Amino acid sequence: MGLIGEGLIKAVEMLLSGDPELLAITWLTLRVSLTATLISVIVGLPLGVLLGLVRFPGRKLLVTVINLGMGLPPVVAGLWVTLLLWRSGPLGQYALLYTPTAIIMAQVLVSLPIIIGLTTSTFQNINPQLIMQIRSLGASRWQLFIVLIREARLAILAAIMAGLGRVLAEVGASMMVGGNIKGETRILTTAMVMEVSKGNFDVAIALSFILMGLAFLITFALTSMQQRKRSA
Amino acid sequence: MKIKKYRWLLLGLIVLLALAGCQSTEESPSNIADETTNQTAEQGEGKETEESSEPAKKDMILSTTTSTQDSGLLDELLPIFEEQTGYNVKTVAVGSGQALAMGEKGEADALLTHAPADEEKLEQNGDVINRKRVMYNDFVILGPLDDPAQIKDKPVTEAFAQIANTNAIFVSRGDDSGTHKKEMSIWQEAGIDPIGQDWYVETGQGMGDTLRVAAERQGYVLTDRGTYLSLKEMLNDMVVVVEGDESLLNIYHVMQVNPEKSDLINEEAAEAFVAFMVSKEIQELIGQFGVDQYGEPLFFPDAETEGESN
Amino acid sequence: MIIYELEDVRYDIESKKESRTILKVDHLSLQEGEIVGVIGPNGAGKSTLLKVMAFLLPPTTGKLTYRGQRINPGAVPMSVRHQLATVFQHSLLLDMDVFHNVALGLKFRKIDKVEQNRRVEQWLERFKVAHLARQHAHTLSGGEAQRVSLARALVVEPDILFLDEPFSALDFPTKVSLMEDLKQILKETKTTALFVSHDLMEVKYMTERLVVLIEGHKAQEGPTDAVIHQPNDQTAPFLNQWRQFIHSFSGRIGSPSLPY
Repeated sequence: MGLIGEGLIKAVEMLLSGDPELLAITWLTLRVSLTATLISVIVGLPLGVLLGLVRFPGRKLLVTVINLGMGLPPVVAGLWVTLLLWRSGPLGQYALLYTPTAIIMAQVLVSLPIIIGLTTSTFQNINPQLIMQIRSLGASRWQLFIVLIREARLAILAAIMAGLGRVLAEVGASMMVGGNIKGETRILTTAMVMEVSKGNFDVAIALSFILMGLAFLITFALTSMQQRKRSA
Repeated sequence: MKIKKYRWLLLGLIVLLALAGCQSTEESPSNIADETTNQTAEQGEGKETEESSEPAKKDMILSTTTSTQDSGLLDELLPIFEEQTGYNVKTVAVGSGQALAMGEKGEADALLTHAPADEEKLEQNGDVINRKRVMYNDFVILGPLDDPAQIKDKPVTEAFAQIANTNAIFVSRGDDSGTHKKEMSIWQEAGIDPIGQDWYVETGQGMGDTLRVAAERQGYVLTDRGTYLSLKEMLNDMVVVVEGDESLLNIYHVMQVNPEKSDLINEEAAEAFVAFMVSKEIQELIGQFGVDQYGEPLFFPDAETEGESN
Repeated sequence: MIIYELEDVRYDIESKKESRTILKVDHLSLQEGEIVGVIGPNGAGKSTLLKVMAFLLPPTTGKLTYRGQRINPGAVPMSVRHQLATVFQHSLLLDMDVFHNVALGLKFRKIDKVEQNRRVEQWLERFKVAHLARQHAHTLSGGEAQRVSLARALVVEPDILFLDEPFSALDFPTKVSLMEDLKQILKETKTTALFVSHDLMEVKYMTERLVVLIEGHKAQEGPTDAVIHQPNDQTAPFLNQWRQFIHSFSGRIGSPSLPY
């Protein structure tokens, strides 16, 4: 109780004091996670729709690979991105290791399979008759895509929440490719690990409350968006 | 109507994110997008730098041990360096083993570590250059208040041997860090192979976590004094049982990674950093660091004006 | 005037196990303004024929001509698609309110908002479901949903309307009232329609000309009454079953007000 209480008080204190470092860390966490999720959605949604609706040779293998990827341990993603971004690696010249971009890359790797995989299974379950019906009303391919996305929005928002949740919670990859550099790549999770190892439990707990608060706010926003239509 | 509402929400989200991206690139000059473009452009032109204002390669990767970061020392020193030189230091705090490996691969520009034997190997292989002694603190052996192995004030190797003989719990970092390397060398001296023994606990984590495990399990542990002092409050019933032995000195060196390792190494920054760490002003700061908070310094400045001795 | 013509159409299913011809029709045409029925037992290929004609399913081989234009089923111009609409057995309404369901086809055709609203309201009115406009589509009864589905197809004022068993999932009284309304609307708007059903009573009421499909072949074609009363060797077993059923049925109920 003592520590948790202290942590809670500390969290409120830190938030109220408007500590610029804390704000920077929180903002970076938000920016990195949302960007990674957005990229995953932009890339993953069309791919998921395609995989769910179109049959082609090799599809089964691809779906299997993506389903495997849904469980990709973040540290594995981190390691791959590190190898890619090493100075001696293929993308070394761009000096991206230990930058927020590197974190975003690793997080995309972690969240993309989730978005693709969940979208695929959603669209696999769409009644083919419904697709025919929409086409018969004169929909172009693009219009069909939009209507189906809208029709599957509950499941898609759930997929986005799952992806975002994974990205927000992830620490191994961000630590490895970001380096937890003060003022540059320190995000809430890596800061928490560091504070714990420094023995600053109250700060770590405070950070955990902020992270949970953030996750709650985002999930709440997405959920109310998801559930909105029920009232209409 | 409803479709429209969603579209607006979605659009809003996208705009927000785009805004987030842009804003932050404008916000801080040290941001990725700016940085990389600046950097490549400037590198390409081979632009000469004016002293201390705007260096050609801005970023410098400093690979160091967790103890320097966890103690807060770097948070105090690096802003001064950045201010003075205009470089931007990216500190990657890892175990000494990984820090040295990064140097060996040319993935870092400068190293600040405390594993002298391994550092010398790197120096001999030409992986690092310009290696300078910066400071030391010392290792101590912590143990439970009741000292079950009865090693209080014993010589170090004897203490280790007695821990092994009495099967008292010993908690090791097991992470190839400087501290871990130190510990292993003591075991070797004592002629004991602790790996796999029931009483030998390897955490594979940093010093702070390892200390907490030791306190929890009521075991002995080898730690640097700085980390111990900064965590002392949380370590109930743990006391220093062995200290002051010559062999327990924990010496930190700063060094440059050999610029021949990779074109991307920021040689100028690393050179400046080495010079900075051994400068008189910084040496004084190191000596004062921690006195306010713990009543004694965490590190003792130890730079030599010339020559090198371990 | 013939506005749609189908020649030598064949639809095969190829799988690892078997290769089967589902549909093999040498000729079928639609005159402007007429309602043509397609009837046949289960598995006769009626639904496949409709999907091929509505350009929803490319045939294995065959020639399809719409208003003098030969259409490649693999690349149907949007301008042609926009002239057609289809209603299926299940209403397949989307997860939105009735109004927006009906507006869908107009949206796809990028018709301006004011006109959209006007037409949606008009067609909801025609199908007697204007009061449901703001209701969520998934809360409707079967009959209401099918009315909405028909309004959704007709709101685009299609040149040809394809109806694939639109009444099969409805209970009898619902079916009767909807058939009456639909027939009247089709006549008023002079819409050309292809009406597929397995129910002879429905086709007898709805259509002027009838095509009987047996095992994927066109077994008989002619004015609806003529076909029903003079089946040929191929169609007799199927049609006679139905005639007997209708006879005993109307005998038992004896209601001349039934549309059948």
